[in-house]
Amino acid sequence: MKRRDLVVLLVCVLAMPLIAQAQDFPTRPINVVAPFPPGGQADLMARPTAAAMEKILKSPVVVVNKTGAAGAVGMAFVANSKPDGYTLLMALSSISIIPEADKLFDRKPAYTMDQLVPIALVSADPTILVCRSERPWKSVKELVDDAKKRPEGISYSSSGIYGTLHMAMEMLIHSAGIKMKHVPYGGAAPALTALLGGHVDCMASGPAVVLPHIKAGKLRPLAGWGEKRLAVLPELPTLKELGYDAEFYIWAGMFAPKGTPEPIMKKLRDTVRAAMQDPDFKAALDKMETPIAYLDAPEFQKFWDKDAKMLADAIKRVGKIEETK
Amino acid sequence: MFETLQNLGHGFAIAASPGVLVYAFAGCVIGTLVGMLPGVGPLAGISLLLPASYGLSATTALVMLAGIYYGAMYGGSTTSILMRIPGEAASVMTCIDGYAMTRKGRAGPALAIAAVGSYIAGTASIVGLMLLAPPLAAFALSFGPSEYVALLLLGLTVLAYMSGGSVPKSLAMAALGLLLGMIGIDPMSGYFRFSYGLVELGDGIGIVPVAVGLFGVSEILLTAGQAETPQVIKPKLRDLLPSREEWRDAAGPVGRGTILGFLIGIVPGSAHIIASFVSYAVERRVSKHPERFGHGAVEGVAGPESANNSATSGALVPMLALGVPSGPIPAVMMAAMMVHGVSPGPMLIQQQPELFWGVIASMYVGNLVLLILNLPLVGLFVNLLRIPYPLLYPAILVFSVVGVYAVNGSVVDVWIMAVMGALGYLLRKLDFETAPIVLGLVLAPMLEMSLRQALALSSGSYAIFVTRPISASMLCVALALLLLSLRPLVARGADWRRRLGLLEGPVVGEEEKR
Repeated sequence: MKRRDLVVLLVCVLAMPLIAQAQDFPTRPINVVAPFPPGGQADLMARPTAAAMEKILKSPVVVVNKTGAAGAVGMAFVANSKPDGYTLLMALSSISIIPEADKLFDRKPAYTMDQLVPIALVSADPTILVCRSERPWKSVKELVDDAKKRPEGISYSSSGIYGTLHMAMEMLIHSAGIKMKHVPYGGAAPALTALLGGHVDCMASGPAVVLPHIKAGKLRPLAGWGEKRLAVLPELPTLKELGYDAEFYIWAGMFAPKGTPEPIMKKLRDTVRAAMQDPDFKAALDKMETPIAYLDAPEFQKFWDKDAKMLADAIKRVGKIEETK
Repeated sequence: MFETLQNLGHGFAIAASPGVLVYAFAGCVIGTLVGMLPGVGPLAGISLLLPASYGLSATTALVMLAGIYYGAMYGGSTTSILMRIPGEAASVMTCIDGYAMTRKGRAGPALAIAAVGSYIAGTASIVGLMLLAPPLAAFALSFGPSEYVALLLLGLTVLAYMSGGSVPKSLAMAALGLLLGMIGIDPMSGYFRFSYGLVELGDGIGIVPVAVGLFGVSEILLTAGQAETPQVIKPKLRDLLPSREEWRDAAGPVGRGTILGFLIGIVPGSAHIIASFVSYAVERRVSKHPERFGHGAVEGVAGPESANNSATSGALVPMLALGVPSGPIPAVMMAAMMVHGVSPGPMLIQQQPELFWGVIASMYVGNLVLLILNLPLVGLFVNLLRIPYPLLYPAILVFSVVGVYAVNGSVVDVWIMAVMGALGYLLRKLDFETAPIVLGLVLAPMLEMSLRQALALSSGSYAIFVTRPISASMLCVALALLLLSLRPLVARGADWRRRLGLLEGPVVGEEEKR
C-alpha cells in the first residue's frame, strides 16, 4: 500500500465515528450549561428550551447550572469542552462583555468569542428605563435636561460594573452627552431593591420584573431600548424614536463549542427551530412575559456581531475605573 | 383583625388540602436533609429543587420551597451538635456549645432544645410575618447602603463579645476572615483581586467550603491526631430529654433569638447567618455566667438556633409584601413565582390572597410537622454517635466533599475546603477560635459593597453615615457597645492599679516604720 492510500484510509477511519455520530446523534444525554444560578434569566430560558428539545430528539436534554464570576466560569467551561454536540451553552448578552473586559484589564481571557458558534437566538427583550414615580421626570427629555443642569446629580443602579444593565445605561448616557452617578449592585435583583427603596433615582431593567411595580404606581417607565415598542407597554417610546442612538437587548441564545461537526450542528439547529414551535415552550415563555425572538444561526451570528461591537465600544468608553481621581 | 383570621382560615383550608400538604411535608423533609448534609444549605437545596417545582402550581411550589428553607434550619443543627460539622452556614455558632454539650453526654437535650427553640421561633415569627408584613417591609426598604454600613459595623462590634478566649486572638481571626473576603472581583472597578488567574475565585471564596473545612474537617483531623481513639459516647434514654434547669436556661435565649432573628431577617442580606452570630453574642453578653459559653452552655444552642429560624420568616416579609428579593433565597423563590406567571410585587397580597395566606398557613403546619419529625428522631440521631470513629469519620468526610462539590459543581470549592481544614487544624492546635473567620468572611464583601456604594452616592463624603437617622442611631449603638466591651479592659486596668497599690501599700508602711 502506498503511503497516500494509507493516509486516505486513515482519514476514512477517523471520519467514520463522525459520520456515524451525526446519523444517530444523540446517543447519550445532551447537557445545556446555564452559566447563572437557577431562577436566573439563562436558567429560565434554558429549561423550557431543553424540555422542548427533549421531546423532539426523544433523548434527555439536561440543564446544568455552572455559575461563577458573572457567568465566565460556565461559558469558559463550554468553550473548552469537546465539540461533539453534547455540551451546549445557553448564554445571555454578557457573553460578549466578559472577553472585552478581560482585554481591558490585560487579563488572560477566560474564553474568546470565536471559541463558540451560535446555534440559535431564543429570546431578546429590550431593557426599559424606569424611575421612581415621586421623581419629577415625565420623559427622557426631562431627565436628560435635568442631568445636564446637574452633572452626576442623578443616580442609577445596575447589576454590576460592566454588567448588562450598566452597559445599557452607558449607551444612553453617551448618546445624550450627560453624566450620571453609577451605583453598582451584585445583580439585577438588589439593584431593583435599591431603586424601590429610593436610594437611587432610576435604572435600566428587563420589563418583566418591573411591570408589577409599574402597574402598582411605584415606578414610571420612560423609554425602551428596543428597535420596536414593547407589546406589553405599547405607549412607551423607544430611545431610537426619541433620537438617542441606544439599542440594547437582554437576549438569550444557544451556542456550541467551535469545531462541532457540521451535520451535528445542522441537527441541533433543526431541533431548536422545531422547539420554538412547541406549545409548552410557547406557554412557558408567555407566562414569564418574555417574547420569543428566534433567529437561526446565520442571522443570529449577524445579530451577535452587531451587538458585540456595540458592547465593546461601550466598554472601551467606560474604560478602566481608576481608584484615584 | 377579624379579616386576618378569616384570611388565615382560608389559608389553612388551602394548606390542609392533601395536594398542598404533601408538598409542605416533602419540603420539610428535604429541607431537613439538605440542612444536615454538610455543605448543601438551603440555597443550594432550593436551587437544585427549583426545576422540579416548575410542574406544580405557584402556591404548591412556594409552599415546598419555603418548607425547604425553614426545614434546613432545623436540620442544620443536628450535625453541628453531634459532630461539630455545620450542616449549613447558619449553624456555625451552634457547633461551639452544641458539640461541647455532646462531649458532656448531653447531645439529646441539645438536639431537643434546638428543635423546640426552632419551633417556637418559627411559629412566633410567622405571626409577625402575618400581622406586620406591609409596614415592616416598607421599613426594610429604607435600608440603603449607608444603613447597611452602620448595621454591619454593629455586627463587627459584636465580635468583641463572641469569643470566650483571648480578645486579640479572636480579633486576629476576624481580620483573617475579612481579608479572605477581599478575594474576588472588585465590585466597583471590575479588577480581579487575589484570584491568581483562577476564574472560579472571581466570586470570592464561598462561605460553605470555609465553614465545613474550618469546623468539620479540622475536627476530623484533630480526632485522628489523638493518641487514643476517643471513647464512643453511649447515650442513655434518661439523658435524651433536657432537664428542668436546661429548659429554664433556654427560655430567655429562645425569646430573644426569635425577636432578633425576625428583625435581622427583614433586612435584605444573608440574614439567617448573621442572625445566629448576633444572637450568640447577645446571649453571651447578657448571661450571668459568660464563662460557661464554649463549654456546653444551653443558651449558646437555644439562641442561635431560634434566631436563624425566625430569620427565615423575616426574610420572606419583603418578598411577599413588596415583591422585593431580600436575599439570594427569596430571589430564587421569586423566580419560581414568575415561572408560574405570578408577578411578585406590591399587589401580591391583594391579587393572590390564596398564595399569600396559603404559604403563611403552610408555614404553621410545616413547623409543627418539623417538630413532630425532629423530636422522636433525637433518639435515633444520638445513636449515630455509637458508630465507631474509624467508620463514622471517613463517611462524614465523603459527605462533606460531595456536599461542597454539589453546591456549584466546582472542584475549586473542594480544594478550598481542604485548605481550610488544614488551616483550622493548625489554628485550633494553637488555641485560636475559628468562628470569627466565618463571620469576617460573611461580613467583608457586604461591608465593602455597601461602604463603596454609600460613598459613590455621597460623592465621597463620609457625612452620609451620620446625617441619615437610621444609620446614625445604629452607629451610636455600635459605639456604645464598643465602649461597653472596653469596660472590662479599663476595669482590669483599675484592678491592676489597685493591686499595684496593695503592693505599694506595705512598702510605704515599711518606710513609715523606719
